[in-house]
Amino acid sequence: MAEPTTTMHVRQVGDRAAVIDIKGDVTAASEPVLMSAYEQADRQGARRLVLNFRGLEYMNSGGIGMLVTFLIRANRQRQELAAFGLSDHYREIFELTRLDEAITIYDDERSALSDVAS
Amino acid sequence: MTSIARPAPRRLASFAVPSVPGNERVALTQVAETVAGLGLSPARLDKLKTAVAEATMNAIEHGNDSRPELPVRVEVFQSGAEIIVTIADRGGRSDDGTPENSAEVPDLDRKLDGEQGPRGWGLFLIRHMVDAMAITTQGERHTVRLMMRIGSQDAGGGED
Repeated sequence: MAEPTTTMHVRQVGDRAAVIDIKGDVTAASEPVLMSAYEQADRQGARRLVLNFRGLEYMNSGGIGMLVTFLIRANRQRQELAAFGLSDHYREIFELTRLDEAITIYDDERSALSDVAS
Repeated sequence: MTSIARPAPRRLASFAVPSVPGNERVALTQVAETVAGLGLSPARLDKLKTAVAEATMNAIEHGNDSRPELPVRVEVFQSGAEIIVTIADRGGRSDDGTPENSAEVPDLDRKLDGEQGPRGWGLFLIRHMVDAMAITTQGERHTVRLMMRIGSQDAGGGED
């Protein structure tokens, strides 16, 4: 079995937003990596956290659960969550689970950051 | 009464994976390779792959308690215009607490309010990905049966 690999790179955009570039798998095993990325973005003062799923290879129900945990943390800090780069399949899963009601989905990064004042 | 004879299911693949978390990727890849060329659209193939992965993950984690020496057995059949995948583990205990036995439907609002745990989406996803699913238990053997119709536009999310 190949070990699941996930990398998440945080890019600060202006003073108020951060993009988290996700590469690889989003499963329960990715939780430490995502939470570390969250903490980095939070320390930088981001009010909008944008998840870039362009590099997503595989996401399962454990990954969805992890996104719920991520959402709970962001909600406590009154931070907005957004996402872009989801394939049609994962977009449908976001709709089924209603994650799309809590995480605003955009077609691309520019749209996800369009109304963030720097 | 007239009965319509149905073709006997043709077994396309049979394999087992050790109950090691992550091996659901092996199962979904082998199933995808097996059904390639049978006429599932790419979108419906993605759905079948997700359903197979979730069912295999449940079998590994809940059915076989992630014990590598216990195999999860996967079989793929074609019966007319239906692709059938069965995923079997040894979790056929009546009180095993697997998600299959839970009546609780995951609800995002309740999860965000802390009334439900953040996980527990597996069976919900399976039900919405395939045209039909059924769960059977015979002794220790616990089997999830997934069915996708070839040529259908969308999964119906039903149970047999």
